[in-house]
Amino acid sequence: MAVALSLLATACASDDDDDTAGGQTPTTGAEEPVRGGTLVVALDGSDPGNLNPAVTSNGGVHTASEPMFNGLVGLDTEGRPTPELAASWAVEQNGAVYRFTLRDNVRFHDGRPMTADDVVFTFEKALLPFHARTRASMTSAGVKVTSPDPRTVVFTFDAPYAPLLQQLNVTEAPIIPKHVYEGCSDISTVPGCPPNRAPVGTGPFKFVSADANEIRLERNPDYFRQGQPYLDTIVERFIADQGTKTLALQNGEVDWAWMIQGADIATLRADRNITLADAARGPGGGNCVLTVAFNLRPPAGRTAFFGDLRTRQALWAATNRQQAYDQIQFGQGKVATQPIHTAIPVARATGITLPAFDANRARTLLDQAGWKDEGGVRVARGVQGVPDGTEFRIDYHGFAGQQIDYGQALRQQWRAVGVEVETKQEDNPTLSANVFRDRQFDTSAISYCNEADPLIGVRRQYHSSQISTTAFTNAAGYSNPDMDRLWDQSTVEPDPARRQQLFQQIQDLAVRELPYIWLIESTNTRAWSSNCTGFNIQNTGLFAEAAYCRQ
Amino acid sequence: MSLQYLIRRLVQIVPAIAAIIVITFVIIHIAPGDPVDAVASGNGDDQYYAFMRDKFGLDEPMWTQFRTFVGNVLGGDLGVSFAQGQRVSTLIWDRLPSTLLLMGSALVLSSVGGVALGLLAAKRPFRFVDLGISTAALMGYALPVFWLAQLALLGLAFELGWFPIQGMTDARADYTGLAHYRDVAYHLVLPSLVLAVSEVALVARVARTGLIQQNGADYVRTAKSKGLSANESLLRHALPNAMLPVVTVIGGRIGSLFSGAVLVETVFGWPGMGRLLLQASENRDHPVLLGLVLVVAFSVVLANLLTDLVYAWIDPRIRFR
Repeated sequence: MAVALSLLATACASDDDDDTAGGQTPTTGAEEPVRGGTLVVALDGSDPGNLNPAVTSNGGVHTASEPMFNGLVGLDTEGRPTPELAASWAVEQNGAVYRFTLRDNVRFHDGRPMTADDVVFTFEKALLPFHARTRASMTSAGVKVTSPDPRTVVFTFDAPYAPLLQQLNVTEAPIIPKHVYEGCSDISTVPGCPPNRAPVGTGPFKFVSADANEIRLERNPDYFRQGQPYLDTIVERFIADQGTKTLALQNGEVDWAWMIQGADIATLRADRNITLADAARGPGGGNCVLTVAFNLRPPAGRTAFFGDLRTRQALWAATNRQQAYDQIQFGQGKVATQPIHTAIPVARATGITLPAFDANRARTLLDQAGWKDEGGVRVARGVQGVPDGTEFRIDYHGFAGQQIDYGQALRQQWRAVGVEVETKQEDNPTLSANVFRDRQFDTSAISYCNEADPLIGVRRQYHSSQISTTAFTNAAGYSNPDMDRLWDQSTVEPDPARRQQLFQQIQDLAVRELPYIWLIESTNTRAWSSNCTGFNIQNTGLFAEAAYCRQ
Repeated sequence: MSLQYLIRRLVQIVPAIAAIIVITFVIIHIAPGDPVDAVASGNGDDQYYAFMRDKFGLDEPMWTQFRTFVGNVLGGDLGVSFAQGQRVSTLIWDRLPSTLLLMGSALVLSSVGGVALGLLAAKRPFRFVDLGISTAALMGYALPVFWLAQLALLGLAFELGWFPIQGMTDARADYTGLAHYRDVAYHLVLPSLVLAVSEVALVARVARTGLIQQNGADYVRTAKSKGLSANESLLRHALPNAMLPVVTVIGGRIGSLFSGAVLVETVFGWPGMGRLLLQASENRDHPVLLGLVLVVAFSVVLANLLTDLVYAWIDPRIRFR
């Protein structure tokens, strides 16, 4: 059902009407929205503390606070920009300059009008220093944000910069009021900036209260989309345990949950009081691809198992991705068909075939690479870069849950061709340290969130300059001058058709060299009480902008 | 008990806490993982990491970081959370009442319930009731809190609908005054019961053993021979003297009660310090972790002191000098 719903949601993208957010879930017929009521939302984890989404890219902060804010543009279900705080825009000088005209009827929750000054302030003082994603992509492109007049904002880059319009929604660039935040001594903390705990934005909901038990938001009666929102109150509860969250949804204590995983999906799908749908974007990132990285660049003293392409091809052939998906995913997401997430329109490639499951081919390739079957685990006999006699015993790092489930599946599948895997369950910081800082791993699960554009979320996975101790960079340690050149070209290429070609070439090359196994295109499964409707499932900040619950 | 004794005991707390702080500080700093990961959450380039590490003071040598930390703590400042951006004291203070409420209820429930069960069992040792209680106590002690919590949630809250699933209050209602307290109490029942189970079991077993032992002592036999009923001799003579080991058990379990609270709070969505601890360790949030350890360590040491004071109060034979 989730798949069917998500297809429906994709098929029914709303019109790019000036006063409608893109990407709403279709509601039944021309039903009149019900005004009033409370929506109880389950947040994962616990109280995030700071509630200013402009100074962090932390998913917990964003889910909790985004409904109080807006971006300059929104994104529809296809990831196309739609007007939000900006009424219109013009792209100049081949994409090196963007000129935005702001709406003139937008007010902050304290009644003061939103102007271009607020946008400039937000970028200079909050987003560019502190929002990790926006900072990483825009600062290196030499962005300058200026306001020639109160209704106009101009972004100027050193060279044509293509992804900007994908980076201005409420998740990537929420706009905060200058007059509230300019007095802050440290805008990234609560003691240095008390409004961070009682935020003022332009969004559909206003801040009421926040404590460790819950966050309460109320309807913004002066919201620029007239008539919206319909709900009076949003109450956000912190429920760290997945099982508890599912039970609370089923018994009606909670109306909306951001993320349902594993067996709970099956449980909720069987409950007719609950509706499920898949979203490609989530508050912590979007368009994620779960991959397994081969360590092509182990530190001294560690065996380089994967130097020979045939070895990587062999493990690909030994991997039955469909079978693992069927066992683990409960219909969530889909088996990856190309290296980059297909929800990014500009990266949709043609004619790509990922290596198919074929255990016999795997055995042949391993034999050819010098991994000999001497009964049990294969042994190196003339493998390039591997001392003779080395057994093919490797480790696999991953987080608890889905990633370790995949580790167990791969362990069984690879054992069938004579490769022994030890799975290592680690928490986020430990895995980062082992994989990125120390490179002490053979294979590791990594969920790369591709985001709205390959330059933001995919380049870091393949460019040799991204081989770094920083988390979620080029884990494989993959380096190829041709690959670097293609990325460098795409960085300054403004023409969409030409970009499409470049991303096709990048993916063709990646599939030839196989530095990673692309397991699945992940989705976030949202779940909500069937009593409520009108949700915008793709956009976190605007999810309840047009939602309502039948009494 | 002399004032001198009390002062000496209070002074002894200082090195204990100091040792705990040093050990925790070292463990946290040698644990793998970068606190910046939590704020970058999968994003951020090298420059961002360098910027944030500098901002958090993580580039300083460990010794310098330690000196800064100790200096701040002595000045009454626990610092600011890396991941949550809030003062650690605020974070803890916001959650302390919920945790104290949960732990306090569990402590009262387990002490009263445990002693009551112990009395029932000791009344006729090795008979049906005693065997039933002892077996149940053994099981209650052996059950993992986490599992018990989920079972209670599924059975009592979800299937039977007797209790709410999560939280400290009803999200849809905005109760004030008495109605608010009733609402909180209603939400408190299940988590505090679950947290109390293993403690009840322990208290009941210790109370039972003590009572049976005292009940066979000469002074109780004398009381009985002077015409006191079995119940009266049990309650009035055996009980006070059997309380010493019970108090020891209760006082010594504050630490483990907190670790149980971490799990119970997570399962029931109870907004306390336990969940803060869990989140802070996932985030490698040094200031929050150190702040929490400081508070918990202080509470445990204080609980031990209180236990000793209660000793002297219930047993006049004990004198501290």
